[in-house]
Amino acid sequence: MTVKDASLSTLQRADGSAKCEHDGYCVIGAVNGPIEVMRRDELPEEAAIEINVRPAVGVGSPTERHLETLLQSTLRRIIRVETYPRTLIQITLQVLSVPDVKPTPVSFLAVLPALLQTSLLALLSASIPLTTTYTATACAATSSGDLISTMSLTSAATLASFHVFAFTAQGDLLLAESEGSFDIGIWNKVYLTAEEICRGKPTDAVEDIIMDQQGNSLQERLQAAVQSKVEADRRWKSS
Amino acid sequence: MPREAEISSNEREFIQQALHEGIRIDGRAFDEFRPLNLSFGDEYGVADAQLGKTRVVAKISSEVTIPFPDRKFDGVFTITTELAPIASASFEVGRPTEQESLLSRLLEKAIRRSNALDTESLCIVAGSKCFALRADIHVLDFDGGLVDTCCVALLAALRHYKRPDVSVNGEDVKIWDVREREPVPLSILHYPFCVTFSHFRGVEGSELMLIDANAAEEQCREGEVVMTVNKYGELCQIAKYGGATVDAMALLNCARLAAEKVKVLDRFVTTKLDQDAKKRDIGGLMAELKAENER
Repeated sequence: MTVKDASLSTLQRADGSAKCEHDGYCVIGAVNGPIEVMRRDELPEEAAIEINVRPAVGVGSPTERHLETLLQSTLRRIIRVETYPRTLIQITLQVLSVPDVKPTPVSFLAVLPALLQTSLLALLSASIPLTTTYTATACAATSSGDLISTMSLTSAATLASFHVFAFTAQGDLLLAESEGSFDIGIWNKVYLTAEEICRGKPTDAVEDIIMDQQGNSLQERLQAAVQSKVEADRRWKSS
Repeated sequence: MPREAEISSNEREFIQQALHEGIRIDGRAFDEFRPLNLSFGDEYGVADAQLGKTRVVAKISSEVTIPFPDRKFDGVFTITTELAPIASASFEVGRPTEQESLLSRLLEKAIRRSNALDTESLCIVAGSKCFALRADIHVLDFDGGLVDTCCVALLAALRHYKRPDVSVNGEDVKIWDVREREPVPLSILHYPFCVTFSHFRGVEGSELMLIDANAAEEQCREGEVVMTVNKYGELCQIAKYGGATVDAMALLNCARLAAEKVKVLDRFVTTKLDQDAKKRDIGGLMAELKAENER
């Protein structure tokens, strides 16, 4: 639930790149685009989006392919694809490290917020036109409906469901993926918590697990990362 | 993008002309490496090597499997190198280029077939249980000198890695968790490093050998010679690619030069590993925790 470290333009060769640490997952991503597209992938009225997710250990499996489909359908709505018809925007995400304590049974969704966050920052770094920005978070719930902070999944035996949410900068729900057993009541509770983590809320009635160390929302955290990059880029002008 | 953008003829001629005059475009000497940097991850067996703008992350992992039936006393060691578009848009996923297969073949020859890693030490119970060690090499940034950087990253990661401790009691094998028992380092017999020489034709038929060419220089070269040497000056392998003929005396010179360079590389990696070990050794507990005897 916490973004520990986020930096933009960490790689030299790619058009845009970012590194993001989220929930113990460290992901580095690169964006190349708009570039030449293969004939069979070419779309006449919009840019094609290619996403590659590469695991830290081993070669890609159906899990990675599934994550790629989720990311693809999300990012197609974020990137202004109609700006670059008949081109390709290529996003490569390399998972560098996974947390020591994983939720058991291992949830394939756990890495998704880190992937989403990294791809957004890499797209920003590559100056690809976007309709909006977003933030993503993961939330877990027990069978009795208590929410667990994803950072303390040591008591994973009681874990009943796992959820990933992404919200746009305007506060609209962009992505909701869940797995495990839960009912609509739990889902609603998780949804509200996730919204608070991502967007922040001025009310005092915030539970302790959704309070970050610095006490600010994910969106502000990412904004700070982008701001520091922009400031570094424009220091020739400001000084 | 199916292929790398080629450099223009002007640029090519400029580089060659400069080399004839004894100057490299980035101002280095002919036998000088770009600045090398090495850092380690929080977990054991992750090394991030940066040579100039080239950046490679190597990650070692292990699991327990059944050894191959024809090699009952040996563990399994595999190296995976897959180039992804993260390094350069010209690398495609799922379609190995020549560069990729050459890279994995060279690393295989340099590290695995030179017996740098003692695979017999990975065996737990002969014929039934052994460690399968896996090295994943992630190329993050590409600006030439891939083989040299991958080799440094891989070797540093192998030296950094610690496998879980095991205790064998007859047929019963207990793999101890990292939290229960201090993991043990791998037994590595020697530390081979790769040095790539790029061959250029000089004025009046003379030959120029460049160490650690960057991507632009790699595109202009006529051939390359990859030498793998360990710090004792023992040559592990030589590979020569490209059509140009290289003089035998020049090769001998290269081998001598490579032996010198490898000593520097080895010292650098050892210093970095020592620094990292010191950082992890909080309160000086490491000496008490480790299971191996002093030799």
